[in-house]
Amino acid sequence: MPNQNGRVFGLTFLCPILDDETLQISHDLQIRNYLATLPTDERSPFALAPGTHVARLVVMDDVIYVGMPAHEEHVKSKYLIFETNTDADLPGYLRALVDVVPQHIDAVWSHCTGYPGTADFDKLLAYMKACQIPTTFFFAAVNDKSLPQTLLALQAKRAVAEFVVEHQGMPSAQLQREFLDFYQSLQSLPYPAPGGKLPRRVIKTGGHNE
Amino acid sequence: MSNINGKLYAMNAITPMKPWKTWLLRAIFFLLDHIKSKQQDLINLSFIQFARWVIIPRNRFPSLSSTQRQESLTYDYLLFFSNFNGTWNQYIDAFSAVLSDGLNLIWRWSEKFPGAVPVTGFKEYIARVQFDTDYYYTAYPEATANDTKAAHIVQGALTTLAAHAATQTPEQFQAAYLQFLLTVQAHLGDTGNAPAVF
Repeated sequence: MPNQNGRVFGLTFLCPILDDETLQISHDLQIRNYLATLPTDERSPFALAPGTHVARLVVMDDVIYVGMPAHEEHVKSKYLIFETNTDADLPGYLRALVDVVPQHIDAVWSHCTGYPGTADFDKLLAYMKACQIPTTFFFAAVNDKSLPQTLLALQAKRAVAEFVVEHQGMPSAQLQREFLDFYQSLQSLPYPAPGGKLPRRVIKTGGHNE
Repeated sequence: MSNINGKLYAMNAITPMKPWKTWLLRAIFFLLDHIKSKQQDLINLSFIQFARWVIIPRNRFPSLSSTQRQESLTYDYLLFFSNFNGTWNQYIDAFSAVLSDGLNLIWRWSEKFPGAVPVTGFKEYIARVQFDTDYYYTAYPEATANDTKAAHIVQGALTTLAAHAATQTPEQFQAAYLQFLLTVQAHLGDTGNAPAVF
């Protein structure tokens, strides 16, 4: 099925950018300038709104001429490409973005032709559907786990590694007690922030330089 | 603007195709999607988190306003978006070495595609048709594809171990814990630091 692989959705949008030769700073450059200021870590709009595994925004200036004997041609508009890998289909995903980070959606897409704004969700959804290009073939390495499941699994992996190291050779009764405490404390850890760095483990390898 | 976020690299490429070839490529993608064994080499390389191909017919570039100039194009276009671990050279080298048949099957319909082997011409072609990313976000920048797969293996084994841990005798738990270790021992490596990007 296009746009979906297992539980993950691969959504692709091609949004024509406004062309106004009277502007000192063109709309495509304004988009680029704004994107350059957006954080890409846990402060990213895609981290604040739920459901985004990986996303990119690309201003496509033109198609590419590959050389003779191919025919050289050019598009008449520049396009904003939005490619995202998410837990939700378009309506659900768009709703999450609009609810949490409408100011960023407006700031970027206000430079696009026909953009209606985030105030009217139905119009916005219709606009995004008009810009959506069906993904012809979509590959996902892990396609059956949601973003929260992935972040929690990465957190658990690190915690388990530390537990295993610290509990080597322990008597079975003590090991069992401490494992139960460990598992309970793992369940109460805060949800890891999407887009953030993972805490570093302190690893001592015992090499001859240490 | 960067093509890199943590350990993930965003590649964008666009190639022109004569419209009559587009339908052949759609059929190939249909088969790839439905014959999962054909994806096994791609799965085994295990350095791509997400990848997609998108065909844009020449008359399907979105037109959203009467004031927008209508496109008048000769070619359909194949867009390729990849999110992979490692460097650009490592990626293209691996593709050329392992997936050349699959790459040729997909890109032979694009104009001037030289083939995935030898790799030098292939890299020159990719460099020509690639364009840069303006904004790139990933929810787990320091985790590679292998890290996420390993994490899910560990999580699954941990849940299984915990399910009966409270009701087992210490000896039973010790035996179950040993089985747990055997399952997860190859999957506990730290994610480590992402490469510094200058």
